[in-house]
Amino acid sequence: MKIKTDSYMFEMIRTELTDAVGDANVDVKFADKFGHSIDYYWIPEMWHDRGKECPKADFIVHPGSTEEVAKVMKIANQYKIPVVPWGGGSGSQGGALPIYGGIILDMKRMNKFYGVDRESYTVRCQTGIIARHLEWNCNKEGFSTMHLPASISCATIGGFLAHRGTGVLSTKYGKIEDMVMSLEVVTPSGEIIRTLPVPRHASGPDLTMLFLGSEGTLGVITEVTLKVHPQPEAREFRAYIFKDFHTAMQAGATLMRSRLGPCAMRLYDETETKTHVSKVFGINLDRGAYLVFGFDGRKDIVASQMKYAREIMEREFKGKDLGAKGGEWWWENKYKFFYPGYMFHVPQAFGTLDTVADFAHIEKVYWAMKNVVNKEFPDARFIGHFSHWYEWGCMLYARFIFPGDKVPPNEREAAALYNAVWDKAIRAAIANGGVINEHHGVGLKLGRYVKDLYGTAMPVLEGIKKQLDPNGIMNPGKLGFAGC
Amino acid sequence: MNIDKYEDAIMNCRFCFMCRHLSAIGNVRFTEVDTPRIRAAMLYGLRTGTNSFDDEDFVDALYRQDLSACCARHCVNHYDENGLALAARADVVEAGKAPAAVKRLAAKFVKSAAWKASGNGKVALFLDETTASDKAETAALRKLMKNAAGDYVTVTGGSIGKALKVLGYVPEAKDAAAKFAQFLNGLDVSAVVVPNPAAFDALKNDYPAWGLKLKAKVFCTAGFLLDRKVRFSKSAGELYYLADDFMRNYCGCECPERLLAALKAKNKPFGTNDEETYNCGEGAVVLDRLHPEIVKSLAEYVAARADDPKKDRIVTLGVYAKMALVKYGKLDVKTLNEIAASCL
Repeated sequence: MKIKTDSYMFEMIRTELTDAVGDANVDVKFADKFGHSIDYYWIPEMWHDRGKECPKADFIVHPGSTEEVAKVMKIANQYKIPVVPWGGGSGSQGGALPIYGGIILDMKRMNKFYGVDRESYTVRCQTGIIARHLEWNCNKEGFSTMHLPASISCATIGGFLAHRGTGVLSTKYGKIEDMVMSLEVVTPSGEIIRTLPVPRHASGPDLTMLFLGSEGTLGVITEVTLKVHPQPEAREFRAYIFKDFHTAMQAGATLMRSRLGPCAMRLYDETETKTHVSKVFGINLDRGAYLVFGFDGRKDIVASQMKYAREIMEREFKGKDLGAKGGEWWWENKYKFFYPGYMFHVPQAFGTLDTVADFAHIEKVYWAMKNVVNKEFPDARFIGHFSHWYEWGCMLYARFIFPGDKVPPNEREAAALYNAVWDKAIRAAIANGGVINEHHGVGLKLGRYVKDLYGTAMPVLEGIKKQLDPNGIMNPGKLGFAGC
Repeated sequence: MNIDKYEDAIMNCRFCFMCRHLSAIGNVRFTEVDTPRIRAAMLYGLRTGTNSFDDEDFVDALYRQDLSACCARHCVNHYDENGLALAARADVVEAGKAPAAVKRLAAKFVKSAAWKASGNGKVALFLDETTASDKAETAALRKLMKNAAGDYVTVTGGSIGKALKVLGYVPEAKDAAAKFAQFLNGLDVSAVVVPNPAAFDALKNDYPAWGLKLKAKVFCTAGFLLDRKVRFSKSAGELYYLADDFMRNYCGCECPERLLAALKAKNKPFGTNDEETYNCGEGAVVLDRLHPEIVKSLAEYVAARADDPKKDRIVTLGVYAKMALVKYGKLDVKTLNEIAASCL
């Protein structure tokens, strides 16, 4: 629904929104709307690059409290206006794009940090706080959220909750959903609800988990209590080069099966090691696959964990030891991969085919995706690394990249090519035991696969949506739900 | 266009969010338009027609920027998004689209480009209008200069080009700078001490870039005190020094930190990090005159991060940041020069 800006209705709604959150907190200017029309999804970036105007919201609203969010939701329901919650705008799936206009609910004004509970080791905050700011606040008190993703500088905590984000220490500390104690949520009808205060209980289904990953389609998460951890006495890394990606995968899986409990692990395939890792580190790694892992905690325990991990890497799999320094290269440069010059960029067409599978299937998924991209799209390059490891499997961070001169000049054809790669690669992944996806979310980009993924459970999901959001105002057209 | 000289920043910042957390204005206005990413995207949009200087909101956003340059310091590529913003302002002015408040301010600075010198000596102290307006700062400078230089020449007066440059009036800025360079070169001094960080940056970086040569060596106050090996009899004690935008992010000058060490200061880390700017828009030089409401928000943001706002001894390098933090942040703030003078 687009509202004509010169209509009585527009002014009526603007007046009500202003009354709810204050005049300074409702933006209707072009520049502000422009700022909320592009996230990190390739399609709007490509449109922008080619001078095509991206869909814009009618109102940018900055609520300052949960109560203000509730007021906005009631207004939106009254007029049946779409509401799209917005955090930092760093999502890669188009999840926060205002494709039907309406209200962008920019949550960053809700950035309160309520301090660390030193008895329970938890922290409470509003969800509009930028993750880096939350982490800095925790650090000042001697703690860490241990949620350290590449988007930490931009994304809000609410953004991570909304799409089940993850950070570089996920292997030990979990994804965001593992870190949550409880939530405060404003439902689409404007009711303020709180989920149970602890995550482990036998008091029925877990409403906390219902809202995590709901991508703003079921309500607005306004406040969260998260687990925090004291800063570890030691954190050590070590890296190895293996003769090929398969051997490195076996070594990594063995380390996970050993239950030694690394805090992080990354494995880059041969191509990414040669082209990407070498560039970021500024060293020449022209052969083999780079694997890095680390442990943190008490110094003596870390030393012991590292000793046994080295035995696995060196004795069982004959990894070439790059030493602690080889591991530090990664830790110190872990975000550098995402800066311009190291990250891909329009006019290139690129995407992250984020997939997760158990160890029994992960290599099959990798090869199925790689083969389909190489075969069907010879102009594209396929690279991959495995970046979030669990006891049972890991996440494949596969990427395809078309050079700029191989991307059709017509934006519709460019989008069609882009979507075709996703269709082929994702269906190959699903057919081989992969799940789409691990931490980027669904958004607009992957909505068309949700029915395939959920199968006969899809009506259950749709029923929940209908119950909570009968007018379908919450982030329409995302997560595979209907538009408006 | 002037912005074409900053192709790297336009093309790369427009899709990058890695310094979003450091966007001082974005952090108090909670907006996307006040971030390097969106500013660069809008400037790219000038080429494709999606954005235009006819859009007053776009131009306003360009003039709201705090220009701290902490984004460039943080960036692994050090893209000069501040340079891009200044170039964009110059383009706005050339296009005749400068906001009325900017035009009025620029006209005032053009008129004020006149200086006078008093006193004798081989060293000059330049007191710009902002520095000269702070009695505690000028008293401290007198004490310090007497100790470090003995007799000295005091130069006072108006615009030396920095504010005009920041507002996008580059020819006028160069003209003022050339006149000031000529004025300084007409003095028989071997050193000029510049307490105002913006003015120091102008003489240190802008003037050489514009081909202007100064006969005298340019010092910041801290650098001059260190050069003259001034002895301090007292320790500065516990304080919170707020790193200066110009010194840290523009000039890479560590003289203030070295002076703090010489003063045996126990410099406690302020806030939660040492990446953000706490200078309330000092880099934008005249942000307090264009957008006092934003400077108020920036000062309140800083005050909210003080360990104890009522007791903490906060130290800034320049008077601009001090005034903003005292007026709007209600903090106890002194300049580094005041601290140094109290340690003599």
